[in-house]
Amino acid sequence: MSETQIEIDNVNAYYIGNHALKNISVRIPKKQITAIIGPSGCGKSTLLKCMNRLIDLTDGITYSGKILIDNEDVFDRKTDIVNIRKKMGLLAQKPIPLPMSIYDNIAYGPKIHGLSKKPDLDAIVEKYLKLVGLWEEVKDRLNSPASQLSIGQQQRLCLARGLAVEPEIILCDEPTSALDPVSSQHIEQQLLKLKKDYTIVIVTHNIHQAMRLADYVVHLYLGELVEHGPANEVFENPKEERTRAYINGTFFADFKVDSELNLKGNACPFNFVYAKQALHTMEEGKILKVIVDDPLAVTEVPRGMEADGHKILNVKQINKTDWQIVIQK
Amino acid sequence: MNIRRLKDNISSRLMLAATVFACLLFFLMLIGLYSRASPILSAVPITDLLFSSVWEPSDGKFGFLPFIMGTLWVTGLATIIAVPISLLSSIYLSEYAGERLRNAVKPLIDLLAGIPSVVYGLWGVLAVVPFIKNYLAPVLGVETIGGYGILAGGIVLSIMVFPIIISVTGEVLRSVSQDLREVSLSLGSTKWQTIKHVVLRKARPGIFAAIVLGFSRAFGETMAVLMVVGNVPKVPSSVFDPAYPLPALIANTFGEMMSIPLYDSAILLAALMLLFVVLIFNIIARMVLIKIERSVI
Repeated sequence: MSETQIEIDNVNAYYIGNHALKNISVRIPKKQITAIIGPSGCGKSTLLKCMNRLIDLTDGITYSGKILIDNEDVFDRKTDIVNIRKKMGLLAQKPIPLPMSIYDNIAYGPKIHGLSKKPDLDAIVEKYLKLVGLWEEVKDRLNSPASQLSIGQQQRLCLARGLAVEPEIILCDEPTSALDPVSSQHIEQQLLKLKKDYTIVIVTHNIHQAMRLADYVVHLYLGELVEHGPANEVFENPKEERTRAYINGTFFADFKVDSELNLKGNACPFNFVYAKQALHTMEEGKILKVIVDDPLAVTEVPRGMEADGHKILNVKQINKTDWQIVIQK
Repeated sequence: MNIRRLKDNISSRLMLAATVFACLLFFLMLIGLYSRASPILSAVPITDLLFSSVWEPSDGKFGFLPFIMGTLWVTGLATIIAVPISLLSSIYLSEYAGERLRNAVKPLIDLLAGIPSVVYGLWGVLAVVPFIKNYLAPVLGVETIGGYGILAGGIVLSIMVFPIIISVTGEVLRSVSQDLREVSLSLGSTKWQTIKHVVLRKARPGIFAAIVLGFSRAFGETMAVLMVVGNVPKVPSSVFDPAYPLPALIANTFGEMMSIPLYDSAILLAALMLLFVVLIFNIIARMVLIKIERSVI
């Protein structure tokens, strides 16, 4: 494996009693794109915000562990967090231009770090607007408010703004989720181009996007690190059943089902009991697929199974009347 | 069925009537004030009224300049004292303080807004005025009339204006999206740089509105000011001079000396001026705030 850029070591985060990140340890490789995947609420964004400690802005959060970037611990109170943040550009879910002109949006970062000569700033603005392919579109209106740009242009502006402080790392939090397909593609192409100079961490719930971009994949589920590894290994041959389920869940129903139970025609308490009995006879880790046609069962069976400590891998409507629920013991 | 419909009709009309009445009151006041103030407007030229500093009603000389200047001095001083303190504290509360402290301080500030102005006046007489008389004036080597004057008025008034500016500014700062702060911080700016260049920049119109609202409150405040400001109808030349703001003039003299011709008309003109200025300030501030609210949504 290539050099490590970010070393995440035993990170735990609690949000008002909720264990948001559980013992996460992973190494993010240098000058590659690492995708953090997982369903909503699994702690992807929390992990990202830990890396530049923007998590501090959240009321009621506590965290522990270590995140090392160039041998500096981000979580250490003695670390100059401002300096760490300078090393990491952030691309947020939706473009957030600063309330100033296009020019000043780019120049803001260099300015606060002490650059004040106009020719230098001009050069930086031009360089980074060109880098994200925005220069031709905006060069005649650099002094108009950034908010007048289209959403897609704004997101590229935000990327340029982050790059202008010359970071080593780019953190992206679902950077294309607010964009139209064409603008999304534009951003993705930028990221692929940028990875030769930058380490990129992208949080995404879009598996297709992760497959297109990622060299390395980290899969989180409910705050747990399920699996991590080089993208081709994780996508083609996941070691963990939950990763397989997550990837497959978005594509095709290719579960390694060990046992199948048809509970069509059963009303609520019974389908529940049958599923429980079936699981009882199975070995740990085996997978049971249950077919139900009672709408109540679609929510109640997974809830009951989870309460018993089993894992729900997938709930999906397979035709007009039937749903499949895939449970791992 | 018909009775139900009748009730429905009556109730809606009743409510409409109440609303119209409440709104009409303002215009009735305006008309009433204007009609009673018009005798003096036709007897004395408006330039004399506004720019003459001779106030001798028994001679028929009604120069409002001392009162207008008195009002401006007191209000100006109060704003100068109140703005930095309340801005800094509302920035602290919304940007630095934790949720717990914020929740503890907010009711306290609201309480400050609810204290009757006569209590502030008493506090001014018992604490601020002696302080100026016994300590500040001797140290600075200036003459005061027993500590009463613009400085005392300005201090008392500034404290009355705090809650308005603090709470409106706080609302405005909290309406600045958290994402914006994150963006600025992620570029490696410090907290203060973020506040100065991004948060305050975004909040600027709202803060302006907060100050204008505070200013308009200070402008019309009567009781507390009247008790400490000295009430001498002369154009003031320093903050240690006494002054006679318009509201104090109205409260002190209306109903007395009404035998003097045009006197009562002059006082009503003062009230009209006050109403106008406060109204304009309020409209400006509300318009800015409404614009901000819309842009947030």
